[in-house]
Amino acid sequence: MDIFWSTISQYNSATWIYQLIIILIGGGLTLLLLRRPDRWVKIAMKVFLILVYLWISIVYYHIYCAARSYNIIMSIYWGFLAATWIWDLARGYTQFEYNRKYAGLATLLLVMPFLYPLLSWLRGLSFPEITSPVMPCSVVVFTFGLLLMMSRKVNLFIVLLLSHWAMIGLSKTYFFNIPEDFLLVATMIPALYLFFRDYYLRHLTDDASKPKRKYVNLLLLLLSIGIAVILIISLILELTTDVPPHLTHFNR
Amino acid sequence: MNEEREKIEDIGSFIAEYSAHMMGCGVHTSRVIRSAKRIGVAFGYTVKISVFQKNIILSLADKGTKELYNEVIDIPALPISFEHNARLSALSWETFDKHLSLHDLRSKYDRIVNAPHINPLFVLIWVGIANASFCRLFGGDWHSMGIVFSATLIGMFLRQRMTAAGINHYIIFIVSAFVASLSASTSLIFDTTSEIAIATSVLFLVPGVPLINGVIDIVEGYVLAGFSRLAQAALLIICIAIGLSFTLFLVKDSLI
Repeated sequence: MDIFWSTISQYNSATWIYQLIIILIGGGLTLLLLRRPDRWVKIAMKVFLILVYLWISIVYYHIYCAARSYNIIMSIYWGFLAATWIWDLARGYTQFEYNRKYAGLATLLLVMPFLYPLLSWLRGLSFPEITSPVMPCSVVVFTFGLLLMMSRKVNLFIVLLLSHWAMIGLSKTYFFNIPEDFLLVATMIPALYLFFRDYYLRHLTDDASKPKRKYVNLLLLLLSIGIAVILIISLILELTTDVPPHLTHFNR
Repeated sequence: MNEEREKIEDIGSFIAEYSAHMMGCGVHTSRVIRSAKRIGVAFGYTVKISVFQKNIILSLADKGTKELYNEVIDIPALPISFEHNARLSALSWETFDKHLSLHDLRSKYDRIVNAPHINPLFVLIWVGIANASFCRLFGGDWHSMGIVFSATLIGMFLRQRMTAAGINHYIIFIVSAFVASLSASTSLIFDTTSEIAIATSVLFLVPGVPLINGVIDIVEGYVLAGFSRLAQAALLIICIAIGLSFTLFLVKDSLI
């Protein structure tokens, strides 16, 4: 736990100016994407995402989280995510076309990275030992929001890799005592349901599906509810019990 | 006479297609041969059949007229289907018991073969749950199970998409095993049963059907077919090991 927050503290102290620049570019590109979704803006957004993912992989995990155990795994995982975006850019898979249907939830997700530091502050933490908008979880939430806002054609492989990250967030809340990550998982569940439903079931008729479309949808719904129940149990466990010392020794 | 000749051709052609489809969707050799012979007998013909890994040689004989029909057919690469296995086998019995006409037999066969496949999302979710259950069976805790479930979704999705894109299945196995185990290796940051999580994350790729069929074929005397199935399964297992090794080399040298 000490190492976890001290690495965050070092990262924020040393990179806050760059984080600010990244936030400004990201915000600007998002606005441009909504108002003037030209081809170059879409390409620029993908390049921006590739660079941000590489930033998380190299600057955040490889350099500033070097003191953590197995930081290399996270570095590789985010490098892999960046590589997936490069593949997406080359193939032109994700099209970033505005979808009004989920605008409400997407807007909430896009705002979420700014709620992270606010929640840390409400918990009594102060800069630089707080979660910031250019950290893995915030970037995942931002990407989810962006993809949901522009969800006409989405790369589900990237969504799955990001949801895996969100699932890890469930364990992180318990092991590392980071309630901020509840926000990540809580908002991710409905987004995940919508992504999967749209990808697999939107154009499907009952005749072309076995089992019938409604049963597959029900299974997906039950899965989402199951994850939500696990999330609530984790929250209750974290609020009612202290993390046993043996669960945190490896991160000291 | 001419009508009969046409019939033997039609029936021979149907039995060849039927047998090739059964072999392709993962039925063991003796069942394919029994079912094919049963259909032949139902129409009054004797069927001789040789089954290889990639093709089938079929001979249909009419004992009365001494008429013969021969065909060599390639076995298509189809997804494993227990449903096709069971329903096509039952169809051979129905043909034998109820003396179905070739027209009826063909229409029933087409209905079975062209029925909608199981929804890929349905498969994805249940494969994830099954793999997470394997993790539990091998001693993994709840956190590992969750991570294995999620890692399996990623690996299985990749496998489904790459299969649909027609990529070589050895490459599919290597890449899927690598990505699933890499995703499962994120469990190493927690104090959990991460070794079990990584090891079980690739179990969804294990070619269980060729392994079982290979053994059944050898035991029942179809040694060539059995060994070729086992050899193919062994190659796939090597591919899984290669994918898993990439992850182990990357994440920590202490793991390998």
